[in-house]
Amino acid sequence: MSTKGTHIPDWLQVPFAGITPAPSQTKGQDLFPTGNWRSIRPVYRDKMPPCNNACGTNEKIQGYLDLVKRGKYLDAYALIKEDMPFPSVTGRVCYHPCEQACNRGQHDEAISIRAVERFLGDLGQALPKDVVVAGPPTGKTVAVVGSGPAGHSAAYQLARLGYSVTILEKSPKAGGLNRGGIPDWVLPQHVLDREIERLVELGVTIQTNTEVGKDVTWDALKNNYDACVLAVGLTEPNSVRADGEDKGGVHYGLPFLRDIGMGTSTVKLGPRVAVIGGGNTAIDCAREAFRQGAQEVTMITVESNTQEMPCVPEDLHDMLEEGVELMHGFAMTAVRGNGTVDALELHPARFTGAINASPIAVNREVAGVNFPVDQVIIAVGQHPSLQWLPAEFKNERGTIAVDAFGRLGNTNFFAAGDIVQIGSGQPLMVVNAVGDGKRVAFNVDRVLRGERLEPRAIPIDVITDLKRMNMTYFPHFPRVAQEMLQAASRRRTQDEVIQAYSEEQAVEEANRCFSCGTCNACDNCYLVCPEPCIVRPERSNGLYKILVDYCKGCRVCIEECPTGCLEGVPELDFDTGVVRMDTAFAITQGLHGRQAKELRELPNLPAKDIENWR
Amino acid sequence: MTTTTVAAKKRNVRINGCVAAAQAAKYADVDVITAYPIRPYTATMMALAQMVANGELDAEYIVADSEHSQLSIAHGASSSGARVFTGSSGVGVQFAYELYSPISGSRMPVQMMIADRTLDPPGDFGSEHTDALSTRDMGWLMGWSCDAQEAFDNHLMGYRIGEDPRVLLPQMVCQDGFFVSHITTDCELPDSGQVNEFLPPYKHPYPLDPRHPVSHGPQIMPEQGPPLQLERARAMEGSVPVIEEVHEAFAQIFGRRYDPWIEEFMTDGADVVFFMQGGHAVTARHAIRHMRQRGANVGLVRLRTIRPYPTDRVMNVLSKFKVVGVIETNMGLGSVSSGGSLYAEACGALYESDKRPLVLSFMAGMGGEAIVLKEFYWMTQKMLDAQKRGAIEKRTHWVGFEE
Repeated sequence: MSTKGTHIPDWLQVPFAGITPAPSQTKGQDLFPTGNWRSIRPVYRDKMPPCNNACGTNEKIQGYLDLVKRGKYLDAYALIKEDMPFPSVTGRVCYHPCEQACNRGQHDEAISIRAVERFLGDLGQALPKDVVVAGPPTGKTVAVVGSGPAGHSAAYQLARLGYSVTILEKSPKAGGLNRGGIPDWVLPQHVLDREIERLVELGVTIQTNTEVGKDVTWDALKNNYDACVLAVGLTEPNSVRADGEDKGGVHYGLPFLRDIGMGTSTVKLGPRVAVIGGGNTAIDCAREAFRQGAQEVTMITVESNTQEMPCVPEDLHDMLEEGVELMHGFAMTAVRGNGTVDALELHPARFTGAINASPIAVNREVAGVNFPVDQVIIAVGQHPSLQWLPAEFKNERGTIAVDAFGRLGNTNFFAAGDIVQIGSGQPLMVVNAVGDGKRVAFNVDRVLRGERLEPRAIPIDVITDLKRMNMTYFPHFPRVAQEMLQAASRRRTQDEVIQAYSEEQAVEEANRCFSCGTCNACDNCYLVCPEPCIVRPERSNGLYKILVDYCKGCRVCIEECPTGCLEGVPELDFDTGVVRMDTAFAITQGLHGRQAKELRELPNLPAKDIENWR
Repeated sequence: MTTTTVAAKKRNVRINGCVAAAQAAKYADVDVITAYPIRPYTATMMALAQMVANGELDAEYIVADSEHSQLSIAHGASSSGARVFTGSSGVGVQFAYELYSPISGSRMPVQMMIADRTLDPPGDFGSEHTDALSTRDMGWLMGWSCDAQEAFDNHLMGYRIGEDPRVLLPQMVCQDGFFVSHITTDCELPDSGQVNEFLPPYKHPYPLDPRHPVSHGPQIMPEQGPPLQLERARAMEGSVPVIEEVHEAFAQIFGRRYDPWIEEFMTDGADVVFFMQGGHAVTARHAIRHMRQRGANVGLVRLRTIRPYPTDRVMNVLSKFKVVGVIETNMGLGSVSSGGSLYAEACGALYESDKRPLVLSFMAGMGGEAIVLKEFYWMTQKMLDAQKRGAIEKRTHWVGFEE
């Protein structure tokens, strides 16, 4: 009898024939975990969705779209508010780099992210009380100069961090470029007003009619506040240096829009209006010109076609739909007329180098074109006005010299927004200014807490390759279009051109989101696991857990993860605090567990013995 | 499992081994039969198919697409708590090889009838024990019958032994192809009341049942393998007293008494004996009677159960003689004796004996050839020569190919 006298120790007791409760039962696999089959283990590792990455302020776009899918609108609104103080504004005006980056664009059509953002922003506007609250008071004060997108964003984030924030605004009304640079039919005044109210509700003090250098001195800023964020923007319109630019009837883009926005405009347009410039402000001016009474509006650009124009294509499309004419390849060389404008003199022109980034060559060897108009609006960019800034902080571009953190030398002054970014290559757009304001606010916070400013060195894995996802789970489905006013009727009113999504539309559109690289609790892994060793305490993001002791590394969950969140990581890459054997055994309480415990004590042995051990 | 036993009266019939096996399955009221045709065992499945078709037997009769599937289905059916009958021959037995260890390891008392057939190549219908013997260490209870009656009895006893909660092991109930499977002999079929008394319904302690889910055959950690293998070894050894109990109970109820391990025929005063399994023993008995009349002290030791192997019993019995001639009827190419595998089984048992006989191995009955009387005389002469000489000429003789 060979088995006579045999004894199975307690820790190796096994049930009859290894028959155990089913894996789905409590303790169903306690006794017999996987063994050593697995060479890779599945890990939930969220990637950076391309939309989040492209957003100027890195809104958690995938996150709020996912919450909208589930009808959790308030949570979605709260999530967007972490990075964006005024989603109702950007939901209307943003040039949405997120949508250009959207992976769905490679599949059928990009998600209409801006429309969903607007849906959430308007939802937030309707709330009696905002979800965002001021942080616990730090007892420190920060001045923010300017209430445009960058200043608003910095003030908002600083208030959330518990600082006592005062905004100093030159104009009689707060809003900066949001108010002065964006027409009513894109962003109604009351929407912006409500967002500024929210900022005040957060405890931010706004002093209007207060201009730095005039009403407040540099020293006063330095002495009265613990820190100061300069977000003064670009206030002065660029000239095209044409003869006769000083005539009545010559207007400049931003002031033209600003005066209308502030309600102080005295401009009366004649029937024929020309707009000089091919950017977004020029487009807004051209479209506004119709609304201010013009009959014929012509846009004159140095760019030789629409592709070269530095503008949002769909705004250009809407502008052309409203009837604006385009004249490419010309520069305005003179304004003709006796005191007022009768006509423009135009000469063929082209960029000498890169489009929009090189000097313009005007061909005066040919006769100038006489172009009769009643008014001309010049919208070829802006430049700063910084007479009040101590010379030491000016740079060669004529803007504020800051370090990588937006800080002026070793002072507690910081700068954010267009005033810093002009010429940097970053688009001078609302969302970029918001992101700039946010980042600078966090840097102010660090400095005031006495921390060092250090660049964050975490590599970002942006998922842009559809092969990393499982596209079989995403049937083609068209984008939900936003309703628009008819071109013929809208060009005479200040009514909003683009209409809001209904709740159903917002959900339908959010449902199109791939959730690229991110767990959206689709349950697929839970369903396909053949073991099953995926635990789902409740259906919720990030709450799946893999019982790696039972996982055989079959990769089914990884292959079938629609979003590409699940990835396989070679076993030996794991360091769970135990010294792993070369064969990648899962460490359990058994023999290998014991061995692992002994292996853990190896460092106390001489190196030679360790080698013999293995 | 529900049973609808067909009442049957005790009767004497003339049937072959295949039909005897089918009759035993019917008396045992099996729940699931899995079949795949291959000669010569096919006759068993033909008989069972008729019984199911005629309503004599209420069972699921599943025709699989191969022997591998056949045994897989048998495994699953047994796991669900069904009494299962299956079978095969020759290369069919080999094709299902993967399943033998899982079935015994998961302790499923599947019963498999084997009518031996020579393995390929070339295609040879004749009997040779290699098909079943090659699986002898896979954890199945295993033994050979030598006629239809013994086959019937062994099948019936096999169920009771294998399904005993102390054992829970599958059984291979083997018989020689043709010599047993296709030769009609007298057979007493019992009264169904006797069978009801002898064989209780099958009940696995942990059947697969959706209402009480359990996990069969899980993956285990390497360190959990040894205790499970030890448990299998214990089960095999633990079957020994159960086998003896069941043979005793069988004798009480049916009146036929078998030694569970070894049949000794005319061994009183014998100097030389044959050690063999299966149907050629019938010819051997005849030959031995002749030779005894002529003064040769020859006898027969027939092994009835090879798994579990009755080591001590074999040692004690064979040690009584001067010479043992192992009749292989199986291939053990390059084995201990360079003949068959039974030689090693005999010698292994004898190693610790104080009185070791000389052991010869006879390659006889190969490829389905009959072992004729003349060959038994020839083998006896070889044994007597060795006895006289006090030494063997060589370990293995190829009978019919030597002078």
